[in-house]
Amino acid sequence: MNKLVRDLMHPGLLSCRPNATLGQVAVLLNQHHVHALIVADRDGRPVGIISDIDLLAGEWLSADSKSLATMRKLTAADLMSQPVDSVEANLSLTEAVRQLIEKDISRLLVTDKGKPVGVISLSDFVASVALEEKPRRETVADVMANAILVCREKTPIYSAARSMTEAGWRSVLVVDARGVPQGVLSGKDLLPFVKDGVDESLTVRDLMHPALTIDVNASLREAADVMIQKHYHRLVVIEEKDPEAFPFGIISSFDIVAAMAKPDSIWQV
Amino acid sequence: MAVNAIGMGEQNQSERDKFENELKRIIKTADESGIILRVIGALAFQIHCPKFGFVQSAMGRAYTDIDFAAYGRQTKQIQGLMTRLGYKENQEVFIVSGGQRAIHENPTTGLHLDVFYEKLDFCHAILWEGRLEVDSPTIPLAELLLEKMQIVQINEKDVIDTIMLLLEHPLGDSDKEVINIKRIAEICSNDWGFWRTVTMNLEKVRVLAQGYSQLTSEQKSRVESQVNEAMARIEKEPKPLGWRLRARVGDRVKWYKDVEEV
Repeated sequence: MNKLVRDLMHPGLLSCRPNATLGQVAVLLNQHHVHALIVADRDGRPVGIISDIDLLAGEWLSADSKSLATMRKLTAADLMSQPVDSVEANLSLTEAVRQLIEKDISRLLVTDKGKPVGVISLSDFVASVALEEKPRRETVADVMANAILVCREKTPIYSAARSMTEAGWRSVLVVDARGVPQGVLSGKDLLPFVKDGVDESLTVRDLMHPALTIDVNASLREAADVMIQKHYHRLVVIEEKDPEAFPFGIISSFDIVAAMAKPDSIWQV
Repeated sequence: MAVNAIGMGEQNQSERDKFENELKRIIKTADESGIILRVIGALAFQIHCPKFGFVQSAMGRAYTDIDFAAYGRQTKQIQGLMTRLGYKENQEVFIVSGGQRAIHENPTTGLHLDVFYEKLDFCHAILWEGRLEVDSPTIPLAELLLEKMQIVQINEKDVIDTIMLLLEHPLGDSDKEVINIKRIAEICSNDWGFWRTVTMNLEKVRVLAQGYSQLTSEQKSRVESQVNEAMARIEKEPKPLGWRLRARVGDRVKWYKDVEEV
């Protein structure tokens, strides 16, 4: 790991004031799609970190109306972790990793000669691991998304749409109680309802389309062939020997295009 | 056991003998029937403190009832046992508590028994699972100490029992005639509320022990050093995220359950 902390950190500080209420902190976390905020004093000096886990205390301890009233009055300063653990931007990533493991924390304030310049978090390391992946483009398994969005047939349409939006996915795999694929719900299935609105009683089963499957060891050419012939944007990746088993993942036309766009792909030579 | 019952006052030896003899009779019959029934409360402290048992009577600590810990899976056997021994159960208490507590009265002697199934659940819950086999005829010493230290509105009788226990037994990491402080520290480190009440009460015991004229200065010092050692061990135990988060909220949100009198 030769990279420096500054190579991976998120520059700049997303912060809140110590007197921000838990509700205000929740809004900021949600707006910026982050798991934590630096709590900074009037002069911008970091005095603590408040995370989504800290905020869960609000729900956790609001067992009755009296407790809820108390929790609603709490501020970032009441629940933040302090002191703020930090790492210098010019240190190696190994040092940041060591601190995260030893202190069992999820993020560090990054400083440049003591001055706060950013934050480095577990998410940044996860992203860096993804970038380290050696590009291969031989089979469906090399390109597909292994982690997939899944729901049951009885899932309300509103819930599925919300999950797709939050996860940034354009489809969701529909399975039965044993994990056997029953179909796929895609953005296209929802389009007709944009104009007239969705009937709240509708479930995923009412709108999903049949799942087209492909073997995990099939070539990208075979996947592209099925997509073109059937005019499908995504295929459910299974093992043909055991089609009833929970799928390996989903491969979409976008996954193939993304593989083509990689700097070292044959399409970029 | 009535948690807020006074439990203090003059009690002659024949009255104390009545409780102790009845307890022996019940334990013997339970053992013969293969029933795991463990003593808690004042009598348990007396049984486990042969050297310092005199402290109870010297300080005016009276027996008011006989309390037991038991497993829910033996409820029917225990109900049968109590009937054979001449007790009548208050069905209402058993039903209202969801089978977690039973009160039995002996119409002839006027004695009153409490059986706590699966746990003692007043201000904080002390679970019996796997612990009733550890000691006999009482619950383990760690649970005896916790039984008193979980009471937010602790009163004098509880303080006296605790002082007696701390004088009699050293702290240690097992249950063999030592107070298993390792177990107490683990329980307190998994539940901030329990930690809050236990440490608050240990501190009260430490302070109040100094005021008893019945104790020698050496005994007072012994109680103080035992409390200090227990507190240090509890503080040293690593605390998980949930504990640390709850600690930040602190006393602003109630950390214990209210106790309803039965």
